[in-house]
Amino acid sequence: MKKSIFLITLMIASTLISAQETSTVSGKKLLQTVQPKIMVIPYVKEGEDLRTILEDDVNKRIAITKIKEAFDNRGFTTVDFAARLKAANANAAFSMENKSDFKAQIIQSSGADVYVEAEVNVLLSQSGNQVKMILTAYECSTGNSLSNKVGESGKFYTDDIGKLASKAVESCAEDFLNTMQNKFTDIVNNGKSIAIYFGFDESSEYLMSSEVGNQGLLLSDELELWMEAHAYKNNYHIQGTTEKQMIFDDVRIPLKDENTGNNYNPNKFALEIFKFMKSLGLNIGRDIKGNTIYITIK
Amino acid sequence: MKKNWIIILFLSVSVLGCKPTYYTHQVNYLEGTAQTISLRCVGYGIDRFMAINDAEQSAVKELLFRGVPLSQQKDALVSTNESESLRKNNSYFNELLSKGRYKTFIISSTPVSDISHYKGSLKQITVDVKINLYGLRKDLEQNNIIRPFGY
Repeated sequence: MKKSIFLITLMIASTLISAQETSTVSGKKLLQTVQPKIMVIPYVKEGEDLRTILEDDVNKRIAITKIKEAFDNRGFTTVDFAARLKAANANAAFSMENKSDFKAQIIQSSGADVYVEAEVNVLLSQSGNQVKMILTAYECSTGNSLSNKVGESGKFYTDDIGKLASKAVESCAEDFLNTMQNKFTDIVNNGKSIAIYFGFDESSEYLMSSEVGNQGLLLSDELELWMEAHAYKNNYHIQGTTEKQMIFDDVRIPLKDENTGNNYNPNKFALEIFKFMKSLGLNIGRDIKGNTIYITIK
Repeated sequence: MKKNWIIILFLSVSVLGCKPTYYTHQVNYLEGTAQTISLRCVGYGIDRFMAINDAEQSAVKELLFRGVPLSQQKDALVSTNESESLRKNNSYFNELLSKGRYKTFIISSTPVSDISHYKGSLKQITVDVKINLYGLRKDLEQNNIIRPFGY
């Protein structure tokens, strides 16, 4: 009798344990993802100063905070634009004269891979006020658009523009992020975009039409053949070639080294270019800013 | 001879029985936020309980493999290639859909019509289903069914 009670208890306990196991998430290892750096900035019109626009307009600050909140909900931390702005104001290296250039400078200095521009339009009318929001995400290196959405708050009889801005973001934020994620998945499958600029030092004796290497090919041809062989899945695009310059405005590189599984980045790709140029008997200088590689042939 | 006829008849019945039957669950978007989504769906079953379960499951399946037009979740959470996804992650989806784990992501399920006769022994009911979209997405991410936001 005692033995049967013990067996029954054991059976009930094991059933409960297995039930608990199935209701919890299986202990799979999470996918390791290389996270892009994303910065949310306000849209500025011609002549407007990016430095003062946030301080002057609380509605723009609300809109930007709501967009950052949407990223946070997906477990993603964005680069704080306001903090970068303060750092930039304190940094003498930033040009104070050119207002439009300031945006490019701050994006470049932040090291962001993607920036999201938020345009807030307040429409006041007697039939109610509304806010329309235009959200656009760009890849910093190539300028490729990753996601575009228009959000609307709908018309309300209220002066609380901040609340309307918040509603406008909520109406499109998830859709906006889903589109971005589709583009990120494309990047995982087809490689990350970088831009490569080949130029010449002033004292260089070479031109793009110079014959280099053992095959007697022009330098520009050698570069294109190499790019064809080394761009991820042969994905590359040439913006243009002149005697003094060759620009690859979109070259895909893998996110991970296929052999080692380690992270792959523009620095490593620049090293491959360096080795190739050496094999052609050329000395080069290389600068890497974010996802853009500048090669100067000496 | 008689035995052969019985085998042929048995095979014919089983082949016909295997033919997939698709019902339109008429999944329509009601409302949604970043965290939740409400859908109105029609469920089918031999009784009220089964029909409500069917409606709930169809709402979850719609989110996973089809996406919901007019909502912010226009794209399928997993993929529109349903058979491939089910094959690749068989144990996860077996647990989620067949064993009823999807119920842990349903916030509310409210019948909005009486149960009515549909076809044969099948009955139908219309249900408003509110799903914890945020939780479902996190669960899919944690089980490596979809990639987390980012590369």
